[in-house]
Amino acid sequence: MARLLAFDDVHQAFGDEDVLRGISVGMDRTDVEVVIGPSGSGKSTLLRCVNRLTEFDAGDIRLDGESVTAMDVDALRRRVGMVFQGFNLFAHRTARGNVTLGLTEVRDIPRGEARRIADENLARVGLSAQADSYPAELSGGQKQRVGIARALAMEPELLLFDEPTSALDPELIGEVLEVMRGLAEEGMTMLVVSHEMGFARSVADTVTFLDDGVVAERGPPEQLFEHPERDRTREFLGELDT
Amino acid sequence: MDILPLQAGDWAFVGTNWWILMQGLYVTVLLTVGSLLLGFLAGFPGGAIEVYGRGPLRSVVRGVGVLLRGTPIVVLIVLFFFGVPWPDIGAVPLGGLLPLPAFEINGQALLASTAALGLRSAAYQSQVFRGAIRSIDEGQLEAARSVGLSKLEAVRHVVVPQALRRSIPGFQNEFTIVLKDTSIAFAVGLAELLTRGFELFTQPAGQTAVVEIILTVSAIYFVLTFLTNRTLDRVENRFAIPTGESS
Repeated sequence: MARLLAFDDVHQAFGDEDVLRGISVGMDRTDVEVVIGPSGSGKSTLLRCVNRLTEFDAGDIRLDGESVTAMDVDALRRRVGMVFQGFNLFAHRTARGNVTLGLTEVRDIPRGEARRIADENLARVGLSAQADSYPAELSGGQKQRVGIARALAMEPELLLFDEPTSALDPELIGEVLEVMRGLAEEGMTMLVVSHEMGFARSVADTVTFLDDGVVAERGPPEQLFEHPERDRTREFLGELDT
Repeated sequence: MDILPLQAGDWAFVGTNWWILMQGLYVTVLLTVGSLLLGFLAGFPGGAIEVYGRGPLRSVVRGVGVLLRGTPIVVLIVLFFFGVPWPDIGAVPLGGLLPLPAFEINGQALLASTAALGLRSAAYQSQVFRGAIRSIDEGQLEAARSVGLSKLEAVRHVVVPQALRRSIPGFQNEFTIVLKDTSIAFAVGLAELLTRGFELFTQPAGQTAVVEIILTVSAIYFVLTFLTNRTLDRVENRFAIPTGESS
């Protein structure tokens, strides 16, 4: 059976700068993979290539055996959810309205039913009481949980998280990680770019250390964190002071 | 030249001929609404094309905008009146619905003035909308695309509703400018408010009432501007996106 997600020698350059220089990794359903690495190592680009917010130059990415470049881009994005560092909530819509937009416009679900699904997903991230609040009325942690609910409601096969807690005040990070931990336990397949080493340690099946556009090291968290093979990995983890 | 003092008799002249100014006001309102509507219908897509369009279409929209913004409105109105082969719709009857004596206006002058004011307004409104569209955080569009909306759907559901709200202050300015610039249709003899005022003080009985008539005309423009701006303020507040801060 094909892997749910497979990168095959993916290259991406922005101008003269090679951001991804031959990435080949794969993950299966229910896997949680955390990608770590210094800033500028290509982590976010890697993620954005999956749903083609960034169109990669060479190589291939396959979702369940099918090349993403051969798929209709909107159909691809319908199957792959994304949670952003900066939340990117629709400022003019309530929390519920943020979740229903994709349901009514992409999945063609009638309004009443969309509302029900939205409320269900807001409950899932602990925000039932905030369904009618606008983004500007929510805390950062609440905003990010709306972002997660918005992605979940589309029933994606894979969820991408692009540094979901990096824009949050320290005291708000826990509530978001808690929701993500819950999703992992429910069996959601997640590809997460994060600096949260505690989360990576306890939730990830695999941790990938990306450095300068290549996979420098990859393995189960206990191995990568406790017994890194590469000096570069050790150095990076040392800088993080874990 | 001697100045014309304000005189009770001249105010009385304005009073007895108020309906002539009201007929002019009717035409002014018609021209303002028509021009702003045309300006919106052409200007909003124009602004969107300047942001999202590419190639020749965007170049054409930009070029026409620069040309329209760079030409004096009186030149545009005269050019549109004498230079465009408008269908001969003859005289347009007006006033039947109001407690005013019915009257007629020159149809071609109305068309030419509406087109000139409307297209010029479109060129300015497109810039208001362009700025408003640009001010919407790119990430929201990306988020909409990431749940599977097409670019057009994402712009329509995410960018447009927010950009329209942010356009209201700029649109208020544009409304004020268009309203007052309708008076330039005077150049092609369209019977709008200023033209009707002019007709009044060129009558033998009105020759000493120039200042009274012009003051009355300005007061009418001012009241109209003031009321409409207050209304648009309310619209802005009504549709404001809650910020969570007490206002």
